Formats: sequence, C-alpha cells, structure tokens
Amino acid sequence: MPTHYEPQDTPFTNPLYGHQRNPTRLLFQHELNRYHPAPDTPGAGVYPYVVTTYRLTEHFTAGGMSRWTPYLSELQPEFFCEVGPELAAERKLEHGGWATVVTARNAVEARVLVTDRMRPLRVQGRSVHQIGMPYHWGPNGYSTGDSANELASMALDPNVHIQEVKALTADIRPGRRPRGRERVALVEEYRRRAGVTERTGTED
Amino acid sequence: MAADGQPSRKGFFTDTSVCIGCKACEVACKEWNQVPEDGLDFLASSFDNSGRLSADTWRHVAFIEQRQPLGHQDPGVGRPEGGAGDAPGPVDLGMPSFDLPGQRTGEDGGSGGGDFRWLMSSDVCKHCTSAACLDVCPTGALFRTEFDTVVVQEDICNGCGYCVPACPYGVIDRREVDGRAWKCTLCYDRLGDGLEPACAKACPTDSIQFGDLDELRERAERRVEDLQEAGVSSARLYGEDPGNGVDGAGAFFLLLDEPEVYGLPPDPVVTTRDLPSMWRHAGAAAVVLLAGAAAAFAGRRS
Ligand code: SF4
Ligand code: SF4
Repeated sequence: MPTHYEPQDTPFTNPLYGHQRNPTRLLFQHELNRYHPAPDTPGAGVYPYVVTTYRLTEHFTAGGMSRWTPYLSELQPEFFCEVGPELAAERKLEHGGWATVVTARNAVEARVLVTDRMRPLRVQGRSVHQIGMPYHWGPNGYSTGDSANELASMALDPNVHIQEVKALTADIRPGRRPRGRERVALVEEYRRRAGVTERTGTED
Repeated sequence: MAADGQPSRKGFFTDTSVCIGCKACEVACKEWNQVPEDGLDFLASSFDNSGRLSADTWRHVAFIEQRQPLGHQDPGVGRPEGGAGDAPGPVDLGMPSFDLPGQRTGEDGGSGGGDFRWLMSSDVCKHCTSAACLDVCPTGALFRTEFDTVVVQEDICNGCGYCVPACPYGVIDRREVDGRAWKCTLCYDRLGDGLEPACAKACPTDSIQFGDLDELRERAERRVEDLQEAGVSSARLYGEDPGNGVDGAGAFFLLLDEPEVYGLPPDPVVTTRDLPSMWRHAGAAAVVLLAGAAAAFAGRRS
C-alpha cells in the first residue's frame, strides 16, 4: 500500500499516517550530522523555513566540470539563494546582498535573489516560506562558493539510499557567515537553542 | 540568390515567445567566435548575469520577471491544431500545477496571487539597413558584406571608438584589453561556407531563426497573427519595418511587451540621419557670417 511519510526535517506533522517519518530509513548519529527537532516540539521553530535544492541550466552536478569553464561560470558566477519578497522583508534580506543559511549541520553563505517565483507554501492552514538553492558550488574551480549540500543531513531512504537534499528546514539571516571557529560556534549556538542532542529526530 | 547573382539579404528573426532562456546562443557564439569571458559578476537580475551586449557578449539573453498572467504555458500555442503538414500537433505533457483546485498558494491569497510570467529574449546586433556605426567609421574597418550584414574587420579597426556612441542600440563596444571595437558578425565566416550562424544553430527551440530577410519577415507576420488569434494580444514585432528609424533592421524580434521592458529603445533613429542637414545648416551659417563680415568691410569703405 502506498503511504506518505514526512521528510526527516519538516515543519509539518504527517496528516495521513500515525508514523511521522519512515521507520526503515537509515540514520547516522554523528556530531556533524545532527537532526532537527520534530514539528510541534519546543525548538522546532529555530529552523523555521523550508529549503529545497535544485539545478541550473548552466551547471552540471556539483560543478566539477562546468565551474572550471569560463563561458559557463560567467553565466552563473555565484552561489545564491532565492527567497520571496515576504521572507526578505521578514528577515531583512537585501536583494543582491549576502545571506547565511543555518541548519544543525552547518552554516553557508549565498547571494540573495528576491523573486516572486518563490511563493510561500500554505499547508495545514499556516504559511511557511521556502528558500531555493542551486547546489552546484564548492570551494575549488574558477567560480567558487559554499555548497548547499553542507546543510543537508544524512537520512537515507531504505531502497536506494538517497539522502534528503530536496526537503529540509533551516534558518536564514542577513550577511555573510562567520569564518573558522566562529562558524562552528554559530552552528552550535543554534543547536543549543533548539535543544538538539544525538537523540533528536531519531524517533519515527 | 537575388536576380543580380548577389546573395539575398540575410538576417535573424528572434521569436522571444518560445525562448526558454537556456543561453545556448550566448555560449555557442563565444565558442565559435572565440569571444573572451566577460567577467564573473553576479547581477541579481533574475538569471541574467551577462547584463547587456558588449565587446565580449554578442548575444545577450535578458530575463524579465513580471507580475502578470501568462495565460499559462500551453504547449504549442499558435500552432495549428493537429500540426501543419508533417509537423506534430501540440502535446499535453500533463505537467502538474502547483495550485490546489480553486486555491492560490500565495500569502496574498486570491487576487493576482498566481500571476507571474518570465520573459526571456536573446538580443543581438541589428545589422541596420542604415547603420550609423558604419557611417562614422573613418578607417573602413566596418563594412557591409555581400549578405547585407555589418561587420568589423579586426585587423583594420584602430580603436578610435567613433562607432560606439553612434550605434542607436548601444550594441558595438570597445574591448578593454585591445581597445578595438567588437560586435556580432552574423557569423560572416560561416555564411561564406553556407552554414547558419552559431547561435541559430544551437538554439533548441528555434527562437533564433536565420534566413533570407524577406522570407523571415513574412514568417514573422504569420507568427504574430497566430499568436494574436490564440489570445496572446501583446505579441508584436520589433525592428522589422523598413520604414523605421534605421530603415529596417536585419535582425528583428517578436516581443511580448513594450521594447523598453526588454531594454530595447522604442524608436531608435540612425544617429547620422541629420548629418547632411547639419552640414547644410553649418554651411549656410558660414556663408551668412562671411557675407556679414564682407558687408562690414564694404560698409566701412564707402
Ligand atoms: S548601428 Fe549598432 S545595431 Fe546597427 S549595425 Fe551598427 S552596431 Fe549593429
Ligand atoms: S534564444 Fe534559443 S538558445 Fe538563446 S536562450 Fe533562448 S532558447 Fe536558448
């Protein structure tokens, strides 16, 4: 029988089924792979927005070839995040400026593209903002930038073992991310506020 | 071929209504013509990071986001039902919509919540019938080819830059590293070998169409009529009219909004149009001045 499970990170409870998440998914408890609190629990609001990742026409996978090619790099030269005007106003994000996106795994920085294409989701009577991020960047190559994959957790589906990089939750704040130890401190501060431990998010 | 044995006038018809913004034209142009990279600048201008035509960008795809109804993306809009001749008719791919039936997802709810359209348009040198860049070039580097296109010869251009402010479209530009003027050649070398320009060859949707200008103009008229009939009332041609300010462009466009929206001048005029009359006025003024001076001397003597 087909059923529906919510993603590992989600702002919503499963409307269809008693189990929130797939009980047969593969989890890895590691200090660099912490999961977010379940919806409707204290701390869930620390990572309030939905993040999804996708491709651009100009780049191929993580950019291993296309980011080394000047003719493609110049067409999409920087890692960016797309947000709707409502979220930009809520978090004081400046169009063309920088934003830092934070999860319990890491914090990455990206240029801000405010666009009507990013529409808030209306689910269970509440509206939740989405952040869209192309995942083609990394630290090496001709066009470089942070990698969106840094934000994702390793929670694998039981059949083909794919991690959930298309649906996760995060917070977003204006400005560039801190460097070095301060970057780690920022991620840890978020984890503390959300009450994240090694058990968080491992329930079904 | 025209009756006199010369090749007929060649041009581009860029039908922006089917452009998908893939930028294959930009890349193909650069690959073929060995145009250098134009800088890694994030412009925060939708998905357009080229910005404008320049010495190092000879095709430029503009992306314009508008809060306007698209009329939805119907496949094959304006194509005859069941296909023309051998061509297949429109196919509904059954792509899902993002709205619940009767409900908009946006926070602003009902009114206009889902109205959005993305205009994409690939701009290029217009290869004007009356080309100001060519009129002002003192070295003869800019010349009109046997295909009635306008080309700069890179080994003759001395970088004086007169052509840059002369172009009413802001197309031709000097390359910083060598000072010379560069622009689209309509792939002069490829035309000589019977090939179509690289951008037209690469364009997957045939948004860029290359051919005899007369035939392209007829084709474009038909396309506008089809679109108008299908309810796309904003469809219009830009630059096709031989009576316009540049006496007709060799590269013209089908647009879905005012030219200004795409960054195109609404009513460009060849900047050298008034030169003869300016010289006539200057000449008349000189004659009057000379006559006045002569009269003053003549008056004193008597
Ligand atoms: S005047 Fe401008 S648009 Fe016209 S042919 Fe010259 S460069 Fe091209
Ligand atoms: S004109 Fe053709 S090649 Fe250029 S962006 Fe549009 S669809 Fe792609």
